[in-house]
Amino acid sequence: MAPEKVSGLDIELLPEAFVELADTLVAGFDIIEFLHVLTDRSVELLDASAAGLLLADPRGELRVVAASSEQARMVELFQVQNDQGPCLDCFRSGEPVSAADLSTESWRWPHFSATASAAGFAAVQALPMRLREETLGALNLFRADPGPFDRADVRMGQALADVATIGLLNERTLRRSETLNEQLQAALNSRVIIEQAKGKLAERLGLDMDDSFNVLRSYARQRNRGLSELARAFIDGSEQLSDLSAGPLPPSPRRG
Amino acid sequence: MADDSAASRNETIWGLLAAHAVGRGGLASVADACAICVTTVGMDGAAVTTGKSGPSHVMCVTDEVSEHLEELQLTLGEGPRVDASADGGPVLVQDLAAADVAARWPAFGPAARLAGAAAVFALPLQIGGIRVGVLDLYRAQPGPLSADHLGDALVFADAATVLLLHHRAQAAAHAGGGTGPAGQPWPLALHRAEIDQATGMLTEQLGVGIEEAFVRLRGYAYAHDRRLADVARDLVARTLWMGPGRSPHHHGAA
Repeated sequence: MAPEKVSGLDIELLPEAFVELADTLVAGFDIIEFLHVLTDRSVELLDASAAGLLLADPRGELRVVAASSEQARMVELFQVQNDQGPCLDCFRSGEPVSAADLSTESWRWPHFSATASAAGFAAVQALPMRLREETLGALNLFRADPGPFDRADVRMGQALADVATIGLLNERTLRRSETLNEQLQAALNSRVIIEQAKGKLAERLGLDMDDSFNVLRSYARQRNRGLSELARAFIDGSEQLSDLSAGPLPPSPRRG
Repeated sequence: MADDSAASRNETIWGLLAAHAVGRGGLASVADACAICVTTVGMDGAAVTTGKSGPSHVMCVTDEVSEHLEELQLTLGEGPRVDASADGGPVLVQDLAAADVAARWPAFGPAARLAGAAAVFALPLQIGGIRVGVLDLYRAQPGPLSADHLGDALVFADAATVLLLHHRAQAAAHAGGGTGPAGQPWPLALHRAEIDQATGMLTEQLGVGIEEAFVRLRGYAYAHDRRLADVARDLVARTLWMGPGRSPHHHGAA
């Protein structure tokens, strides 16, 4: 029997996605890994070719914390949005922003539209990560083909963005207004440590950054370790990952 | 600050630092960063302590209360600064009289209030796994750090981090035969993943720790008068190799 599909939303994958998200919540919670699972699943569940999650640094910059692909081109596409684009508009307004056909939106976001087209994307949907009156960041969905995102997909995407917000608040309860900013800064710094660890492992094994990330992530998963904690230990030298250099590479997780 | 983009915030704060340093007749220093941060974000005092973990070295303080707060944390082994260097995230305490503070720091909480502080904000000086110290800020009146002031304070913390690492990067540049531009450090660019990746790559190429790798990366950029982001991109693309001999993965010109 063909999998039941209501519009773009793949219902069959839904329970599995929630089980996986719940798993990351119990087994040594790691915010970056959690947000990565979320972007991976967004691509699978929704009618999207790629997904990325950006958080607002109080310094005044949107920063990529997780993406369904770690390819440099994708990351660049997200970074461009510090100047202009649906993600920035979504963050500033706190409302979803969609562009069904970027080729007709160059008046709105000239630089972003060009970069997105060059990366092979025609449609984009940005969904806010909201907490009370505050917008913390946004979930970005990209699709190769033009056309509006289905309403059911948008609702599901918004639910996933809300889950991301909950994840960010998960480690400590929100006792004080500052706690959220403490969490956010720790998460952003974890992302930097992971980039440093990617570089170190890439150099050691002769991998590109995308593969290096996948190896690091698989290693953490197989050993039930937090991704950020593993990356930190690898950087400070207390973890050598010595059993990696000899053995074959584990299979790469899905790519966006 | 009115314009809240990261680029303009960076520019404004490094401008303030440079102006303060010129007024003093010197190059921008960590002490300048402390002094201007206090006035910019509405604090009563600031201190910078260095050292990755354990007892820290107090590098500069703006007033006696700040000095006292650092001594307390050093003696008692607890407090926001201690937690900030352990956790890797900032510790923001808007009211030292709050109930949860007494539970978290039973000795430091009351002692800090006696010393004259009502709110304390500890910001780690770090770039991922590079951890050079903590910037501690205090206010005599309780109250939160606004989002705007937090943004400014984080950029001051970034500036202090760069300044702390700067003289070492300069030394590395001179050792490499270059002089670098103008003798002033460059502000941290808008965040670029490639700079972090390149720093990680250099730990392997040079066989050094992450902090030393960053210092050498900046040193190389100074010595060759190139933008840090450009040098990082070449390293990630494997067209540049900074290690001894030849790269095993290098595919640029020999």
